Amino acid sequence: MLRTITPRNARVKRVLKNREAKTEENIKTAIFIRGSQTSQIVNDALADLYMLKKPHAVNFTKKNQIHPFEDHSNLQFFSQKNDASLFVIGTHSKKRPNTLTFARMFDHQLLDMMEVSIEKGTPMKDFKTPKSAIGMKPCFMFNGDMWDQNPHYIMFKSMILDFYHGQTVDKVALAGLEYVISVTSGPMTSEGKPGKIYLRTYTIVLKRSGVKLPRIELVEMGPSMDMTFGRMTEAKPDVWKQSLRVPKELKPKKKKNITKDVMGDTVGRIHMGRQDFDKIQTRKMKGLKKRTASTEEEGESGDKKQRVDDSDDEE
Amino acid sequence: MDVSGVLEAHKQKFKSVSVEGKVIPLEYDLGLLTAYDQNPIDETELKKNKDEYLQSLSRDNAQLLFNEIFQLPTISDDNGVMAMLPVPTTLLPREKPLPKPKPETRWEKFAKAKGIVNRKKERMVFDDNTGEYKPRWGYKGINDDGSKDWIIEVPSGANPMEDQYEARREAKKERVEKNDKRRQRNMEEAAVASKMDQKTVNKGERPNMDNARAMKRKEIENQILISKNSTASAGKFDQAIKGDLKPKGIKRKFEPNVTADLSKEKAGNMSILDRVVGKNGEDLVNVRKAIKATKSRK
Repeated sequence: MLRTITPRNARVKRVLKNREAKTEENIKTAIFIRGSQTSQIVNDALADLYMLKKPHAVNFTKKNQIHPFEDHSNLQFFSQKNDASLFVIGTHSKKRPNTLTFARMFDHQLLDMMEVSIEKGTPMKDFKTPKSAIGMKPCFMFNGDMWDQNPHYIMFKSMILDFYHGQTVDKVALAGLEYVISVTSGPMTSEGKPGKIYLRTYTIVLKRSGVKLPRIELVEMGPSMDMTFGRMTEAKPDVWKQSLRVPKELKPKKKKNITKDVMGDTVGRIHMGRQDFDKIQTRKMKGLKKRTASTEEEGESGDKKQRVDDSDDEE
Repeated sequence: MDVSGVLEAHKQKFKSVSVEGKVIPLEYDLGLLTAYDQNPIDETELKKNKDEYLQSLSRDNAQLLFNEIFQLPTISDDNGVMAMLPVPTTLLPREKPLPKPKPETRWEKFAKAKGIVNRKKERMVFDDNTGEYKPRWGYKGINDDGSKDWIIEVPSGANPMEDQYEARREAKKERVEKNDKRRQRNMEEAAVASKMDQKTVNKGERPNMDNARAMKRKEIENQILISKNSTASAGKFDQAIKGDLKPKGIKRKFEPNVTADLSKEKAGNMSILDRVVGKNGEDLVNVRKAIKATKSRK
């Protein structure tokens, strides 16, 4: 659908190179879209989620005729044009009020998506508290026993982590952990359906305690949303498997041939090749030299001669 | 001097950093700065004062998470104290498939064989002529084609009437063209190698280039032969070109028109019929596959 761009200058070439597949990927960009009809709650929720995702977020301000569960071809086009792999679509209708649809793409094709309805939402601007800086890495908390069991919960957990975890780094500045996203699962409904989930966002305040570890206090920053699950499209198993493949370079390397013995000492193993013991270069010891029969006789006679001359030199 | 009393009093001033009441210990994925709390939620508290309960629950879990984070090994950096994070345990999907490895170019193969290592060179080089630092390549570099020199000596063997500036420009053009041709050749060979050696490409390694060049050459030769045959008289009356390719291995054998052995004739005719109509009344065309193919092409 999109024309393939041939780069005519270095800048375009660099952009295209950035967009192609890499071993260590870029931070995923998210697109926030409004559907043909939205409500105030949905607009506020989209605005807040966009703020948290900045700078790796694109906000479509105009309304789009988009129904992801019926036809997701639009998403493919947007994904290719903006090089984005995450979507949040906000819609409102009588049947499905205040709905957010989270969608993920793999190779610009739809991977999976899920729908949540906001029962009650409080936007960031209603909390008159200081907010964290844009682009900080958050901490996450998933409370409740449902997060490993029910597929809705599993997908929502994966979505939230994927959206906001930023870049996978091997070190983080301790002073830079500014906010935490906490998602709590409420009890199941009487019919056995998944219950509500409560999303809260807090800024972290470190207080002095008597010990080295600081005392944590939380100040609600918003957004705060009470949600229920709606429809869901799971990923096809083979595509899902392909998306989880880790390139060889990023797999944690195993340390071989190093073990710790019972005493706690580190023990290493060295594997030697085959050695031909006859051909090893060692120190020369004349007495150990191989003698044949003829040389022995001569040696003896010689020795005899020597014995006559000086007896101390023998042996 | 018993200072334990003073220490106790000091400690009492501050709130505790330990959290009680967690029946199931929390699971942590420190690579993603995440904590998973499997303890059941107190439903009555949740109903009574939802936000306060959620805040206190989150504070407790945040405290435990931070206790874990602060226990990680740290290094001091320009950006302050950094904690070393482990590899994340929760698997998150990638946004694009794994990159396919590009095949070796001719230079890379040669360099590997010779053991030539690419060493990074400085961008700026000292130019003795002007006594200042100039880029090694590019805009206003010392490597310029020399057509901007205000004077060019005529080389010893050259025609004195020749335009040396022109000559330099032509030489640069030629060099650029040569480089381009080589780049094109590398790209074509890479394409052939990837196509041929799908197995190692899918494994994630570089494809084997050895047969690629021979294959490419063969491909081109085949195409030349086909094009020769594609004239109105099937290449029979074309002018002979010096050094042209002769089609190999094409010998036409003619069976005599009337044979005593009729069974051979019958067998030949039946095989032709099978190829046209299909054996035992089967369709030659797999209709299902054909529909699929045309659909996917559309």
